[in-house]
This record gives sequence, structure tokens and C-alpha cells, in this order.
Amino acid sequence: MSAERAPGLLAGDSLNLRLARRSLGLIALCLVLLPFADLAITTHDPWAELGRMISGLLRPDILATQSLPHAIALTIGFALWGTLLGVVLGFPLALLFPRSRLLRGSCAFVRAIHELFWALLLLQVFGLSAVTAIAALTIPYAGIFAKVYAEILELTPRAPVDALPEGVGRFSRFVYAELPMVWARLSSYTRYRFECAMRSSVLLGFVGLPTLGFHLESAFREGRYAEAGALLWVFYLMIASLHLWGHRRLLPWVALGSLFLLGPWPDIDGALLWRFMSVDLWPKPLLDGDLAGLWQWFGEIPDLLPAIGNTLLLGLMGTAGSLVVALLLWPLACRHFGNRPTRMAGKGVLILMRSTPELMLAFIFLLMLGPSMLPAWLALSLHNGALIAFLVARHADAIVPGSHALPASARYTYELLPRLYGGLLALLFYRAETIIRETALLGMLGIATLGFHIDSSFAYLMFDQAFFLLLVTAGLNIAVDALARRYRPREIADTIGEHDRSTGEATC
Amino acid sequence: MSVEELVRFDGEALGHARHTVLADLTLELRAGERVALLGPSGVGKSTLLAALRRRLGQRAAWCPQEHGLVPPLSVYHNIYMGRLERHSALANLVNLLRPRRDAWRDIQALCRELGLEGLLKRPVAQLSGGQRQRVAIARTLYQAREVFLGDEPVASIDPHQARRLLNMIQRQHATCVIALHQRELALTHFDRVWGLRDGQLILDAPARELTLEDLDTLYPDAHSPDASPEPA
Repeated sequence: MSAERAPGLLAGDSLNLRLARRSLGLIALCLVLLPFADLAITTHDPWAELGRMISGLLRPDILATQSLPHAIALTIGFALWGTLLGVVLGFPLALLFPRSRLLRGSCAFVRAIHELFWALLLLQVFGLSAVTAIAALTIPYAGIFAKVYAEILELTPRAPVDALPEGVGRFSRFVYAELPMVWARLSSYTRYRFECAMRSSVLLGFVGLPTLGFHLESAFREGRYAEAGALLWVFYLMIASLHLWGHRRLLPWVALGSLFLLGPWPDIDGALLWRFMSVDLWPKPLLDGDLAGLWQWFGEIPDLLPAIGNTLLLGLMGTAGSLVVALLLWPLACRHFGNRPTRMAGKGVLILMRSTPELMLAFIFLLMLGPSMLPAWLALSLHNGALIAFLVARHADAIVPGSHALPASARYTYELLPRLYGGLLALLFYRAETIIRETALLGMLGIATLGFHIDSSFAYLMFDQAFFLLLVTAGLNIAVDALARRYRPREIADTIGEHDRSTGEATC
Repeated sequence: MSVEELVRFDGEALGHARHTVLADLTLELRAGERVALLGPSGVGKSTLLAALRRRLGQRAAWCPQEHGLVPPLSVYHNIYMGRLERHSALANLVNLLRPRRDAWRDIQALCRELGLEGLLKRPVAQLSGGQRQRVAIARTLYQAREVFLGDEPVASIDPHQARRLLNMIQRQHATCVIALHQRELALTHFDRVWGLRDGQLILDAPARELTLEDLDTLYPDAHSPDASPEPA
């Protein structure tokens, strides 16, 4: 009998080794493709710029922004009504969701297009109005609610239904024995989604809607950093105080109150709307049935393949970067490391980074570093990495350490990471869909992904081209989601629970 | 004298899709008979009760173990669910928002008898195990049907209370089949005992002809300390 040989580097068939190989493969692929990415720093003195921004954050000027209260009210109003209408549409769809393939497909499609792209599209018909803002949130959210609510409803315990007397109608059964059993989950997800809506609502300012983001963007762009700093603080305060003013009993009043402030309301011209949907959005050769012309039309789309390539590349870099950031940062907020003050600070940093939307982070880095893929990469990695790190730290806190005290490095590598790694990777793969969605969006800042061409097509009023690019973006997003689903560590996804709060929180 | 026969099994096999739990079952349930169902856990008591429930349909009120309750809803609503099928969907919906006066009165009276007074508005999630079981019993009594079918309705209730509850159940239902694990109660409160063991009905006799020792034969390790009968 020969002695068992020690295995080579990363050889073996255990789950963690397989996951380690998978993640190293991801990082290696990213490194190989890195030379194709444009990572130039084009500003003269990024550090000085950063210094000015930080001093603006430290010495905010709250009075510099005109009509700040109105911007705050609009931000909240849009988010609230966007979410509410999303629930109203999404809930009935969730009941049909398991039964209709067509519905599942349509929901995947509306979800795959970012809120801001919806805003750009709706802007063409409804102008800079409340309808544009609310519908831009409601449409994708209806698709998201339909899917997530359907998944939650699927998990309804059977026992109370079985215990009902014979002959109870479908509706009564639902409201008495099914809905109450999942109500807490539904409302906690809705609450979380409202928080996402707040962030998106701020971002709507980037396309010109008068929310907080509008003032934020102009203040940053014009170098008024004291004002920008103040607006950022207002934004963080709004998110952090959500549990105070976002109380269940208070929200209906906030919703009703904001209704009076919302606006402006557009004059909707039915004929124009119909023309936009039936003619403007489609390539003219297609409507004329001219196939040769259609081919030529395709040829006129600028840089389609490089744009797709850049989107995928940046998405890959963002995913790999998030993995590295998450691995480095999660101990910051975890009870097994450091002391109380360091943990508080670590948690604060993570919450700050995950609360700042990628677009905003990327925009700030862009001002610092100049236009290239670098600011986008940093923003994607930091935001998503921090978000995953925060959730992993929460999982880690639930682990009871072994009996003997280990040094921190051993605790990290031997005791905790082996138990957390699968969950971390599962979260990352869930997140991949969002990362690619954001990647396309970051093009609006001038980075050569699909979003750049969508933005400029709209700017040149080439609606057919913009719409086609939107479809390509959605298709790409759905494909990446399918791919990520395939490589997601399934064994773990099942044990941490597909509908675990944390995986839900990894979706926006 | 002729006694109405409610259910009859004639050499039938009961179980789930591909797994037979009770083989070759022959028994009959007659109107006016109070039956105790005994046997070690997992032997198929629930399967037999489910089969009886299917046969009896609208004639039986069903009292499942406490997991049949809806924890987020109040005690009132959980009990009200016993008559859910007797009201329209709209009336049921309105009742969720504003309790019906008549139902509230009836359920309040029922709760007083069961020692649940003052708890009507409390979510079931906040009750103790014993209180939940009484809510489950209250729901079944509220159904007001001919036959009471209970799956260990008095399992985690102290013996004194358990006797009181059984009396209440039997006052309202001439016929009942109740799964139990308190052997003494089977002899004192029932007319007939069905005993299950190893997938078979091995005991079907009038309670007055049985002794505690007879019942012990149903349990493979009746003499080990952790299966000792509860103090009466």
C-alpha cells in the first residue's frame, strides 16, 4: 500500500478548492484582458482634485443650493410613487408569474434595462416631468417585484392551507392562510427596494430631472465642492434616516403629501405618443420591409462590436475587482477582528460605499482621473465589493469561533473564510447581473460602453438606433445573468437560501 | 338497534404516492362513538386521520397540530378561519380589517371557556405552545361539525387541563377520533381505542375492556424511563 501523496497546488476535489480555482480563473481572465482596457489617467493632478473634494466634504455649504427642500421632496416623492406603482403592477403579475413563460420573459426584459435608460426613453415623450421619473422606476420595478414576490410566494408553508375546512374559496384561502405567512418577507423586500428607489431617484438627476442628483451633478461638474459635499451629506442622511421617516404608518402620509409637490405634469399628446412607439422607435427600412436597407442600417450603427466588447470587459473587470475588494474589506466590519472603534469605522466605510450608487462614484472618480475605464472600474469594484463585504461580515458574525484563540491571519484563512467563501462567491455571481447593467449605464459618463452610444443616439434624436442599442443591452444583460447563474456555486446558494435576505439585498 | 356507520375501511392500504404507511386496514367508525387513537409517533396516526377526514368531508371538523395556525394573524382571525367557507370572499376580506360583530361575540365566548380570554387580538406568534393548541381546538369547535378529528390536540397541555378540554370537545361532538399519547385519558374519556403499531391496526376494542398494560403493548419501549406514562 503506497502512502498517500500530498496534493499539488490547488489540486483536489473539495468544494472550496473548486471555488478557489473558479475565482482564480476569473481573476486570471481579467488580467489577461486588462491590456485591452483603456486605463489612462488624463488629469494633471488627481490627488489635488481629491483633496479639494474631501475638503468640500469636510466643509459643506448647505445653503449654496437653491430650492434644496424641493429637490429632496421630489427625490422622495419619485422614489415612493415609483415603488408603490411598481408594487401595484408587480404583485398581480407575481401571481401569474409561475404560469406564463411570456410573462417571465417580459419581466426579465424590463428588468434588464436600467432605470436611467428607461428615463432617457420616456424623456422623449413625456419630457422632464414627473411621469418620466415615476414610470422610469415603476416599469423595471414591476418586473423585479413580479419575480421576487413570485419566489417568496412559492415558499409559503402548506400546513395552514391544509388545515382549512373544505370548500374555502381561492381568494379567502389566499388572504387568510397564505399571504399572512409571507407578509413579513414581502414587506421587508419592498422596504429594501424602496431604499434602492431612493438611490435611483437621486440618479434621475443625471438625465436632467430636478432631483438631488441634478444639483449634485452640476455642483461637482462646476467644481463647487463645498456645495457638492453638502448635497452628498444630505443624500447619506436621507438614506440613513430612512427607518425614522419611512415608518409603515407614516409612509401613506408622506406619499399623499408628496403628491402635491410632484411635478411638472406633462401634456400627453396621444397621437405623438403613438407615432413614437409605432414609427420612431423602429428602423425605417424595417417598417418599409426593405431588407437590403436594413442591412445598410445596421452598418451605420457606430462601433457596435467595440461597445459590446467594452461593456463585457468592464463588467468582467468590475466583477473581479469586487471579488478582491470584498475579500479585503469584509473583516473590517466583522466582530472577529479588531476592536469596537475599528469595527464601527469599518462598518461606516462599507455602508458609505454601498449607499453611494456606482454612477455617482464613477462620476466623482471621473472628475479626479479623467475619462477612461479606470474611474468606472474603481466605482464598480468599490461599490459592489463593499456591498458584498458588508453581507459577508454579517454572515461571519453568526459564526461561533472555535475553542482556542488563533491569531487574526489564521482566523481569517482557516476558521472563517472556508465557511464564508461559497456564500461570498454566490453573492458575487448574483451581483454580476447588476454589475453588467451598471456597466452599460456608466457609458452615460462618456466611457465607451453601450450606454455611451445609447445616450448619444438619444441626443441626436436617432430613436430607432437608441432603441436597438437598448435591446442589445437588455439581451447582453440577460445572457450574462444566465451565465452567472450557471457558474454560481449552487451547493451554497441552496444552503444560504435563495431567498435569504442577503441575496435579496444583492440585487439592486 | 341500528347505529349509523360513518366510515368503513375494508382491507385498504393508506399512504402517500409510493409509500404505504398502513397496510390492510379494516375498521369502522360509528356515529356516537368516541375513539382514542394510540401508537408510537410516526406510526401513521396522522395518515389514518387524514383518510378519515377525506371520507367524512363536510361532516368532520379537523384539528391539526399547532402548525396549522397562521402565526401572524390574531387569535380571533385564526379561530374565525374555522368558518371561512361559510362567508363570501368579500365578507372574509372585510373581516380581516374589521372583525364581524357576531363572530367576535361567539369567539369571545368560546375563548372564555378555553381560558384564552383577553387574547383575541394577540397574534398567535406571541402565544405559548399550550395556548396555541387551545386556539387550534377553539377553531375546530367553532367549525361546529358532527365529527371531531384531532391530531394530538391535547399533547402539550397539563393533564388536568387536558381532561377539561376533552370534556368540552366531547360535549359538542358525539363522535370523535382523537390521537393521543396520554394512555390514561384513552381509558377514562373514550368508548373505544384504536392502537397502531408497525403499520398495522393491532388493537380495536372498547375502552372499558382494556387496562393500561394492554395499551403498553403498543409501544416498543414502554418500560424505558423516557416513555413512562405521564402522572395522572
